[in-house]
Amino acid sequence: MSELVIKNLHAEVEGKEILKGVNLTIKGGETHAIMGPNGTGKSTLASVIMGHPKYKVTKGSITLDGKNVLPMTTDERARAGLFLAMQHPAEVPGVTNSDFIKTAVNARMPEGKNINLFRFIREIDKAVAELKMDTDLPHRYLNEGFSGGEKKRNEILQMKMLKPSIAILDEIDSGLDVDALKIVGENVTKMKSDELGLLLITHYQRLLEHITADKIHVMMKGRIVKTGGNELMQRIDAEGYDWIKEEAGIDDVRVIEEQNDERVVLGTCATKEALDL
Amino acid sequence: MKQFQPISLSSRELPKFIHHLFETLQNVLVVKNGHIVMKKLQDISNEVLIDTYDNLIPNQLDLFLASEFVNDNELDDPLFQNAINNVNSGLFIRVPEKIVVSAQLHVIYVFDESNVSHNSRIILQNNSNLNLFEYVHVSKKGHFNFVSNSIVGDNAQLSYSAISNLQFGVEGVIRRNNYIFRNGKSILTLAQLSDGNIDERSNVFLRGENADGIVKTVAITSQKQEFEIRQWVVHQAPKTIGLIENYGVSNDESRLMFEGVGKIEKNMKRSKARQSNRGIVLGKYAKLEVNPLLLIDEYDVEAGHGAAIGKIDEEQLYYLMSRGLPIEMAERLIINGFLTPILEQLSTDALKEVFLTQVEGKTL
Repeated sequence: MSELVIKNLHAEVEGKEILKGVNLTIKGGETHAIMGPNGTGKSTLASVIMGHPKYKVTKGSITLDGKNVLPMTTDERARAGLFLAMQHPAEVPGVTNSDFIKTAVNARMPEGKNINLFRFIREIDKAVAELKMDTDLPHRYLNEGFSGGEKKRNEILQMKMLKPSIAILDEIDSGLDVDALKIVGENVTKMKSDELGLLLITHYQRLLEHITADKIHVMMKGRIVKTGGNELMQRIDAEGYDWIKEEAGIDDVRVIEEQNDERVVLGTCATKEALDL
Repeated sequence: MKQFQPISLSSRELPKFIHHLFETLQNVLVVKNGHIVMKKLQDISNEVLIDTYDNLIPNQLDLFLASEFVNDNELDDPLFQNAINNVNSGLFIRVPEKIVVSAQLHVIYVFDESNVSHNSRIILQNNSNLNLFEYVHVSKKGHFNFVSNSIVGDNAQLSYSAISNLQFGVEGVIRRNNYIFRNGKSILTLAQLSDGNIDERSNVFLRGENADGIVKTVAITSQKQEFEIRQWVVHQAPKTIGLIENYGVSNDESRLMFEGVGKIEKNMKRSKARQSNRGIVLGKYAKLEVNPLLLIDEYDVEAGHGAAIGKIDEEQLYYLMSRGLPIEMAERLIINGFLTPILEQLSTDALKEVFLTQVEGKTL
């Protein structure tokens, strides 16, 4: 059974502190949900746990089964059992979904060993069917031209194939219609076991109707300001976050200004701009 | 062509991997210093003429002279003129009218003599079809010239892919001219993976209405290499379509330059000229330049170009690594993915392997 322990975690991006002392322990078999308004640092926490190069941890610790996670590179963290279903997964043209997942599965095998190809195909076809994805999806290029919903399901597909011990689902519900949300919910619920600790990040309780959480945390100003059970979720659903703000004495919950970090697309006649990169 | 003096063949020996390639491929011809040394052409119709210049000249000189474009140098390119004037190795391929060659024809060129000026002529007569792959291996240091003129007749279709491997110390000048006539179509897919220095030009002349010419090039530079790679697509008839796609990777301290030109001449109405350039700069001190140009002398046309050059995308790298791929593996996957448009033109696994091995050697 795995255990992820986060203690007094502080992290910054480009010199600006976003996480201001996060404490959280997730054990195998547990499902936690972090809720909170936009811009309070929820996704940053997920990225910091996974080791995104943009973020710098300035204080505190993250351990997985007692091992210090912070010095590990992103790929080492993944192989140690961490998984992050991303809010905006990158598109990688020319790399097929199945090649990518196969490479990722093999990266977890002992040196020089590879997964049996037939077993892999059987497993991925089964997972694709369970997620009700198009059967050609494994052969399409990774996330390229995927709809929002397809991208999210593709994240869950990878989770099914990679079998992590701690999985973080960052706003897996955004961009999903009701039916797709139901499918994702069913699949994640089916994966629940003592071998899997789950952290759901969301700002709607909608997701939690499909995946039951044992503990609800509310994040504001880069910290977890309130923790509770089902009753907390219901009160948020009914009353919103204002009462928690008052309780915590916070006016502005935000630590991040909303940014549209859409990828720059170089259109025609963009050579000069391109060369300046 | 002034006169033809073939290089004499001193030895029929070939590098080991060429033997291997010959064995794995079907319908393959090995040409060493202008002489055919190995051949198996089981699926190629006898009506298709494939022979070297030294066998054809002077017996069939008439055939040779009857074909146009031997000395065409309309872009006023002195290096082309030089290569033509000093030609000493050559291969002639002619697909007669209405002959469709469905199997891919592989030509493997091996050059290990100095001062080679090779000239290939590929003629597709009206309504014919050819799928040609060529591998150019040059091991002798010094100057090397390679010219190929392909003529695609009315309604003819040519798919022409090539991998160049000029070894370290070779200064290569490569010219490929492609003339396309009415309703003809041609796709050039060129992989420039040499370790020498390269000056390469691919010129496409769209000579007949509805002619369609595509030239896709991938080039990878490493160490201190310099490549200058140019494409000219000239629209000389109305309703012609031209597309240039360039994919570049520059590693170490190398320099890679692409210059693509789409030229639509006056009255060539409803023509379309497009180009895209993509590049990954791998090396800290590497350079990658792109100069896309459109020269348009007619209003009723569609034209556009775009470019995207940068380092390996950090978000892509992070994403792949977040699934457990070590950084080297993630980079390899991204680069191979980037080169897919070229890779998918290579018909057999053997060729894909040759391509990927060479790519790997240059991008590690």
